Amino acid sequence: MNIKIGEISQENYRWGNFHYRLKIGWREPTTILGVILTILFFYLIFIPILSLLIDAIQIQFGDERRAGGILGDFTTYYFERTLFSPVSQILFWEPLKHTLSISFGVILVSLSVGSILAWLLSRTDMFGSKWFATALIVPYMLPSWTFALAWRTLFKNRAVGGLEGWFENLGMIPPDWLAYGQFPITTILSLHYIPFVILLFGNALKRFDTQLEDAAKVLGTSPRNVALRIILPLMLPSLMSATILIFAKCLGEFGVSYVLGLPVNYDVLATSLYRSIASRQTGVASILAAAIMTIGIISLLIDARFIRESRKFVTIGTKGAMNRINKLGFYRFPATMLASIIFMISVALPLLVLFLSTVMRIPGDFSLSNFTFDYWIGENLKFAYYRSGILLTPELWVVIWNTLKIVGFASICSGILGILVGYIVVRSPIRPIATFLRHITFFPYLVPGIAFGAAYLSLFAIQRGPIPALYGTTALLILALTADQMPFASRAGISAMMQLGKDPEEAAQMSGASWFSRMFFIVIPIQKGSLVAGTLLPFISGIRGLSLFVILAVPNTDVLTTFSLRLLDYNYTQAANAVVIIISAIAYFGTLAAQKITKTNLAEGLGN
Amino acid sequence: MPRIILDKISKSYDGGQSIAVKELDLQIEDGEFMCLLGPSGCGKTTALRMIAGLENLTKGEIIVGDRVVDAAAKGVFIPPEQRGIGFVFQSYALWPHLNIEQNTDFGLRMRKIPKKEREERVSHIMKTLGIDQFRDRYPSQLSGGQQQRVALARMLVVNPDVLLLDEPLSNLDSRLRLEMRAELKRIHKVFGTTIIFVTHDQWEAMTLATSIVVMKEGTLQQLGTPEDIYERPANRFVAEFVGNPPINLVDLSQKDSVPFGHKIRKIFLSKYKLKIDISLIGLRPENIILFPEPVVQKENHFYSSAIVTGILPIGGSWIVELEIKTIQIFATTNQVPEYIINDQIFFEINLSTIHVFDEKGNRILFSKETE
Repeated sequence: MNIKIGEISQENYRWGNFHYRLKIGWREPTTILGVILTILFFYLIFIPILSLLIDAIQIQFGDERRAGGILGDFTTYYFERTLFSPVSQILFWEPLKHTLSISFGVILVSLSVGSILAWLLSRTDMFGSKWFATALIVPYMLPSWTFALAWRTLFKNRAVGGLEGWFENLGMIPPDWLAYGQFPITTILSLHYIPFVILLFGNALKRFDTQLEDAAKVLGTSPRNVALRIILPLMLPSLMSATILIFAKCLGEFGVSYVLGLPVNYDVLATSLYRSIASRQTGVASILAAAIMTIGIISLLIDARFIRESRKFVTIGTKGAMNRINKLGFYRFPATMLASIIFMISVALPLLVLFLSTVMRIPGDFSLSNFTFDYWIGENLKFAYYRSGILLTPELWVVIWNTLKIVGFASICSGILGILVGYIVVRSPIRPIATFLRHITFFPYLVPGIAFGAAYLSLFAIQRGPIPALYGTTALLILALTADQMPFASRAGISAMMQLGKDPEEAAQMSGASWFSRMFFIVIPIQKGSLVAGTLLPFISGIRGLSLFVILAVPNTDVLTTFSLRLLDYNYTQAANAVVIIISAIAYFGTLAAQKITKTNLAEGLGN
Repeated sequence: MPRIILDKISKSYDGGQSIAVKELDLQIEDGEFMCLLGPSGCGKTTALRMIAGLENLTKGEIIVGDRVVDAAAKGVFIPPEQRGIGFVFQSYALWPHLNIEQNTDFGLRMRKIPKKEREERVSHIMKTLGIDQFRDRYPSQLSGGQQQRVALARMLVVNPDVLLLDEPLSNLDSRLRLEMRAELKRIHKVFGTTIIFVTHDQWEAMTLATSIVVMKEGTLQQLGTPEDIYERPANRFVAEFVGNPPINLVDLSQKDSVPFGHKIRKIFLSKYKLKIDISLIGLRPENIILFPEPVVQKENHFYSSAIVTGILPIGGSWIVELEIKTIQIFATTNQVPEYIINDQIFFEINLSTIHVFDEKGNRILFSKETE
């Protein structure tokens, strides 16, 4: 039985073993690919953030005298200026206070309204619950500042020039608190995140094992106590998770605060950061970006902890998990009314207002003669910023082409990179590479877009080594967007590769296929679907993304979102609104298409 | 000719923290139909994947024919695609985007075999396995048994020297399982391929294999023919693992077993002049012959009485639960029981069918076997 094949000395053995590991590790391109990806993402994700942090502690150009040193010296000047100087109130503390109060307002409203709706949609016999389940998610597919534009169209007052608001024109001049600042921002963000709560909380409710409920009922517990003592405690982790995610999202929120906060100098952290960059205070901007990043990372780490905690509750039942429907009885009608009202104010009304605003000459005047398609397709317009309707304006088409080029290219890149990362993470024989890639590609998720944009600006504003200054180029936007979308793309890639498992590829290996044959004949053809999804989701999210671009785009490299914002700054409301409608349409139909292809739930995969 | 030698192969993870396979020594002769049998997590699949080259070795060597294909200490590693070994996965792992013909053809295509020959070989193998009517279908349109045949055809078409099967029948229902068992036996005969397969199902191992390797926690427990394994289990683990209903084990270190167990022990010690003391006795249920009335005790038999505490019909035969003083044992019988619960009955056991083990649980050979 026992066959000896020569004794090997200990030293030989060790060397041989090392040689063996090396041979297996480098046998296939998997490892080389892993190393290349590691370097790439180290450069695209880690280095920009490092550069940003270094900017925060180094004296920047133009600040030598004030900071009392020479360019590049280490300094605590920016730190002190942002946090402790007389201007720190304006730069940091006020915006922080505003950000926090908005976040808490949003959390309060969206959680209370959202969880009621989630319950109604998933567990009751409310009228049209299936239709509402889709309709109420719509706001989440559209950029949040779409609704800010609608609000401004309605409630604008003389604090800002340009066209009048509808109410102003009807003789009811809205006060500043209604038109701008905290109230509208909180309202709009709440409406935007209600669908998020519906998705998160609704899913948890659907998975809830009704046997747990039944067990309590059998023991004679009243419905109120069942809800309070059984369902609520078990749902707590998912509610906490929704809370923290909403907070993290509000933290980086730029568009809504910019549109509605600026006229009354109501700054949040994101807009303060934007202003610092616009006024070339790089050092202060870096501190602000670092602060946003830190708060974001901390809150998402807390969330990760909650998710881990929630695994302790096994609420995913077996046959008990069927979706039990509660009879609402008399309350069926009011419940449906509530959902309808939310739908009206969060979807129908804003979109209608936006659309009407683009076809009305004088805001709020509903006489037939006031309606016109001039702002879309007119020519020789006298009072508009552009001489012709927006669809006939060459700039729009340049911007659309730009957007498709930048967002399209970046999505394809992140889609392919996502699958490759997935492949390496699942297959690499060198585990540290796999672990590193999994974490680094997820990292941008922790960094709000505006801070990430600032980081890219910091790294690529000047020439560094062989890499030229990329500021103002399309390439920079593509790089930044690709990196920013990697969390979604890599997660999609990893889960696709996990689902595929090793077997099909190993079967090909046993059939004699080399690495390249396996890739081209087996892995990529099978993963075609998820490759499409991994490209389409970043595309939709990129189309409506604003905060990343607003820092990096220049008029030359405008995308649809920044173009719309620029038009707004020029007070050409109709055109700005028209562009937003175009974006919304692309985002909406794109999401539907993605949903069809991936056969997944609406908007669930769309963070941002 | 491919004779596979595993020379002390080991596989550990996390720098030796968890060991999957420990110094496995094995030689598989050409044309053998060998089974690796053991409970889940015993390292049998890992060992199979190591032979295929899908897992690397931590230590040891693998030799296929006259070629060292894997030797950690020598830095030799021949990748799976160059080992000339076929592997059928537990999940079948058919490629979902290729139809049955393309699935079968893949291996030949990779070997750059001319189209005409490929077509002939694919057609031939598909006919042999009875799947040629599914040519144009996709894997998802086939039943489990059909998919299994495709998975086999895909590997057999390239004429591998060795075919490895990982739990080949575990995903099939019992009827199909029976059919595929016969099919595998036929394939082994027709193709003459050396087959090594992994299973946790003892009947599968017993009915198919020419030799069985029983494994536990990464180590080899026993290597032998199906008969060896059943009739002469090398240790307590093998004795317990093989057999259904399981073997009755009487632990002599336990106080309650003293009256009954020690009687047997004494007979053995005096009759076979054993040098090692017995601490465990194993009785196969079918070797316990039951009598409703007292009978005359035969030579070389153990004879005693017991109380019936349960009768479980299992279709055509019965499992009878007996109580002897304080211990419980199970017997099986084909005779319609003429007794009811709480009756006293009598039983005899041929001494040669009794298994005895030492304090470490290893089999003690007694004179009848050692002669």
